[in-house]
Amino acid sequence: MTRLLDVGLEQLTMMVYKSGEVAESAINMSIRGFMNGKDVTEAVRELSDIIGAMTVEIENKAFELIVKYQPVASDLRIINSYMKIAYDFERYGRYAWDISFTHKKLADLDECAVSLDLMPKLIEKVSEMVSKSVEALREHDAELAKTLADTEIEVDELYFACLDQLSKARGRSKCVTCNLLVSRYLERIADHTTYVGEAIVYIATGEKISLR
Amino acid sequence: MNNVKIDIQGLNVWFGSKHVIKDVNMKIKPNAVTAVMGPSGCGKTTLIRAIDRLNELIRGSKTTGEIYIDKESVYSKDTDIFELRRLVGMVFQKPNPFPKSIYENIAFGPKLHKMASGEELDAIVEKSLKGGALWDEVKDRLTDNAFNLSGGQQQRLCIARALAVEPDIILMDEPCSALDPAATAKVESLIRELAKNYTVIIVTHNLQQAARVSDFTAFMYVGQLVEYGSTNRVFEKPESELAEQYITGKFG
Repeated sequence: MTRLLDVGLEQLTMMVYKSGEVAESAINMSIRGFMNGKDVTEAVRELSDIIGAMTVEIENKAFELIVKYQPVASDLRIINSYMKIAYDFERYGRYAWDISFTHKKLADLDECAVSLDLMPKLIEKVSEMVSKSVEALREHDAELAKTLADTEIEVDELYFACLDQLSKARGRSKCVTCNLLVSRYLERIADHTTYVGEAIVYIATGEKISLR
Repeated sequence: MNNVKIDIQGLNVWFGSKHVIKDVNMKIKPNAVTAVMGPSGCGKTTLIRAIDRLNELIRGSKTTGEIYIDKESVYSKDTDIFELRRLVGMVFQKPNPFPKSIYENIAFGPKLHKMASGEELDAIVEKSLKGGALWDEVKDRLTDNAFNLSGGQQQRLCIARALAVEPDIILMDEPCSALDPAATAKVESLIRELAKNYTVIIVTHNLQQAARVSDFTAFMYVGQLVEYGSTNRVFEKPESELAEQYITGKFG
């Protein structure tokens, strides 16, 4: 017999998956805008706002399930973790908007992205981590989630290499500032993917581990 | 587990041909609340009744294995059962006060064990009622019949009655199942207070109650001890699939 809690958990799960999809879209959109010199600030802001609203809905649903069913064991781990993951997805969306806004505000749209050699590689790695975090969530795949730790190390190395390059850059200070901030936002997104990964490992195994 | 109050070793209990407890090994800590949970008929009540040898009152019962309280055998032929049952108090599912005054309910045990009389007995009654978190509510009507108390008060009276003979261990078999939420909350607070001075074992069907009041939780299934550990661990990350399914309401 299906438990009443299962119905609510299914709804909560769908809400978190949807939030993850929208967050991934927001990041992809902002990155494409940045790389192609397009202003996508408003579109990304809309997505970021949608994720923010979904986070509130997810929290409300989670509280409802806790109050009504007093879940324990794997049920409780899922609800607790989904609340954390929803917050991380909200941060994905917010950093996506930060990238677009910074790019629009500070830089000449069509030139800054290519002014830092390491930026495409950093973007590629962070995009990979975002996709992986959303996929690992869908499958509750702890092993896939754990692989985020290795990519996180690569991202940190790339980020510090970016800082090194930027500290030596001459001229076009707006681009330098823009790239400095964008690389920082990307590094923070990567951090949040590891938080999502940690929550997935906790859901699947009950283990509390650090992926950083 | 260091610091063991009750050490259950290879315990088996049969009622006739029915094997009710199957090779249970369990070390119970002092000054803590241990909850025993599991589906109906899994042997929870039989397990705790083995500690004060109450199962022996049932014709056709047979017990093997050992239980030690403070390293003293419970099942030795030299065991003084009268003393054992003073040491191990029992609170049942339904409040069962004697048809006597509040005072007499508490004084009954100490009188029986010839522990005190006169003012000394009065002091035991007051201390026990305070221990049962009932004193303030009944101190001005100690001669009232205990049946005039509410259900929750009657259950706290039964707890106070158990305390009056100065036990070390208090066994509780579904002590809140007949109580409303407010009375349940009072008894649960009392259970936590009691754990400061006594070893408490509570059988409960109410999982949230086990989570709220206990330090350790045991999960039994068809007479076997399937899982036993800290309550936080058992309710967050049970090791056995059976316990996971039971506490998440997927069976039982």
